[in-house]
Amino acid sequence: MSNEELNQFRAETTAWLEANCPPSQRQPIVREEQIWGGRRRVFPSAEAQQWFEACRDKGYTAPEWPSEYGGAGLSPAQAKVLQQEMAKMGCRPPLYCQGLWMLGPALLVYGNEAQKREHLTAICRGEIRWAQGYSEPSAGSDLANLKTKAEDCGDHFLVNGTKIWTTKADEADWIFCLVRTSDSTPKQAGISFLLIDMATEGVSTSPIPLISGESEFCQTFFDNVKVPKANLVGELNGGWAVAKELLKHERKMMAAFDGMLEKPAMELLELAHYAVGLDDSGALADSELRSDMARHLMREKAMGQLGERIYWQGKAKQVDPRLPLLMKHLGTSEAQAKDELILRALGDEGLSMDDPAISEGLRKMVKQWAFNKALTIAGGTSEVQLNIIAKRALGMPSVESKS
Amino acid sequence: MILNEEQLMLKETVAQFFAEQAPIERLRELGIAPLSESYDRTLWSEMAALGLTGITVPEEFEGLNFGWMAVGAIAQEAGRRLVASPFLSSVVFAQNVLLNCGSRNQIERLLPTLMSGEVTASVAIDEGRFFGPATIVASESDDGLSGIKTRVLNGQTSDVLLCVAKRSSGALGVALISSVNAKVSVDAKRSMDLHGHANITLDGIPNTDVEWLAGDSVEAGLTKAIDQATIVLAAEMMGSAREALERTVDYLGEREQFDVKLGTFQALQHRCAQMFCELELAESAVSAALTGVDHGAPNLSALASSAKALANDCFTLISSEAVQLHGGMGVTEEMDIGLFMKRSRVCNQLLGSSSYHRDRFAHLNGF
Repeated sequence: MSNEELNQFRAETTAWLEANCPPSQRQPIVREEQIWGGRRRVFPSAEAQQWFEACRDKGYTAPEWPSEYGGAGLSPAQAKVLQQEMAKMGCRPPLYCQGLWMLGPALLVYGNEAQKREHLTAICRGEIRWAQGYSEPSAGSDLANLKTKAEDCGDHFLVNGTKIWTTKADEADWIFCLVRTSDSTPKQAGISFLLIDMATEGVSTSPIPLISGESEFCQTFFDNVKVPKANLVGELNGGWAVAKELLKHERKMMAAFDGMLEKPAMELLELAHYAVGLDDSGALADSELRSDMARHLMREKAMGQLGERIYWQGKAKQVDPRLPLLMKHLGTSEAQAKDELILRALGDEGLSMDDPAISEGLRKMVKQWAFNKALTIAGGTSEVQLNIIAKRALGMPSVESKS
Repeated sequence: MILNEEQLMLKETVAQFFAEQAPIERLRELGIAPLSESYDRTLWSEMAALGLTGITVPEEFEGLNFGWMAVGAIAQEAGRRLVASPFLSSVVFAQNVLLNCGSRNQIERLLPTLMSGEVTASVAIDEGRFFGPATIVASESDDGLSGIKTRVLNGQTSDVLLCVAKRSSGALGVALISSVNAKVSVDAKRSMDLHGHANITLDGIPNTDVEWLAGDSVEAGLTKAIDQATIVLAAEMMGSAREALERTVDYLGEREQFDVKLGTFQALQHRCAQMFCELELAESAVSAALTGVDHGAPNLSALASSAKALANDCFTLISSEAVQLHGGMGVTEEMDIGLFMKRSRVCNQLLGSSSYHRDRFAHLNGF
């Protein structure tokens, strides 16, 4: 697309956003007002519903997906323009959904036509909310060790087992699962990718209380659950490839998590001014915190610059495939570094998650500190990331190889 | 943020040139040369022949206009071989002090011989133990220009000194003086990385022997030149750090203990992977800063401070780990890896330590 056409698109996009994004939907997002869609969806306000529906009808809930599946069919360059213009105007993301970030991109690659039509459309339209069923109590980092079994019963699979860390499974409608369909070795070769309607008899789910005082994650149980054969994505016993495709998107999403989340009541700098104060020279009164904050802010900025480098490399077809491997580990550990600085700056006000004498905004930051400890665990622990970097980016030898 | 095709070609040419002409043995030869030498003159004239000695100069002054990403790429390649040359001190720092702070007449008069490499210049800015342009004491008076300047890079071989000093008005100025002036005494040094610098005493240089740079905004121009040099030094450090990490990963892939390659041990793999993360993070800050120079970024000082602080921390980490992971060989003089560690500690002090840059960054951001 020529620059001229792109500029034309930008002008149209700006005009469309101006006309369709109500003022309340240009306010920073708060968690309670995120729209996750699904059969049980409720809208926090009429304007939120109006904004969601406008985006849905325009295909802007999934801008880069083909329009026949409910997307807008934008090119990456156009999608970037849309993203830039939405950011400029402060438009809220119209839809939050694991289906959008994770399942959809994998279905586009591995799904058959009927699956794409049924599921991609329902995702874009916010009609179905998805959960992810990967980890199991005995299969965390060693995901291939999963035991949830799908037995071939002719026209359907019979599924038995349990999945853990299923984010918001108690509010989800469908779950995409890795299941064991063969005991062949290696373990990866006996895994299939199944889509399961959680309304099916035998599916139950219970939330897991976390150190943040919340229950984002659940455990989901499958007890003789019948799943139609048509819900198999990709080849039988070929689920590992689908899972890997999907994991790429999960890692990308986790690295970019920051922008999707509710903005904290105060940014780090403002918080430090408020809680710690400046001395006569205009420097933060806690010199060690000040130095650590400078260090963090530089690194946080550099994370963004690393993302920019990757973007420009892609544009110039000079891709260094090693760089995306670093994003998850670096991004999540820097997010945790920020949480630690926040806690240090808060002092006394950072010691409780539920003291009503402390403002809700500050307490949310404390909860966030605890919750974000999951960032370096979920979606491939930092340790697994380092294994991958050592092998794939640095070409370090595997344990087996002695030569 | 990335190199264009022309810049990539230049980078390849320069990489090959340094690999052939400036192996680390060349630096070791310099290490046993008289203190009055601070670089290999044959190498320097070859660098000039390649056009590197005027690489930062804009088209307006007959430069090649390659852009600062290219300048950074050259510095990186030099860093890989720990090349000792006046590239940073004269080409990047001194020439840009002249470009940013000089009058048009001064630039046109002085720049051509600097660009050709026939003449080299050095900026005398440090005083005392640490880099700190805010506390400069050297000053102009009726008795002439006096002060003690430390760590003047390649100071023993510089023909021209650009001395940062206080004017009678109290503002900072840049005095152009000849290094052979009778009132200039040069104490040549070689730091542990085998690169040369000098401590220079200015003992009342007669005002008639001093020419002050007379551009429109000397202080702002000086700040910009310091930022430019800081960013290019950071780029050079990234090249050295990358080389040190690659040498380490290669070593772990060869050395066997307990009947396996050391590189198979997860404890060592994780340390290398962590170093690679730090390397690319810092590299990103450096690329952003180089791009910032190209685009005239208004926040260049913050970009420069980020780049240098991250480069300092990253190169310190990688060079220390490199020595450790080379085991006993790491502490032998025979291996080059120790030179990378020494170079990192010298670079840390040049143009500002991490403490200096974090403090400056905090001030620039209002905390």
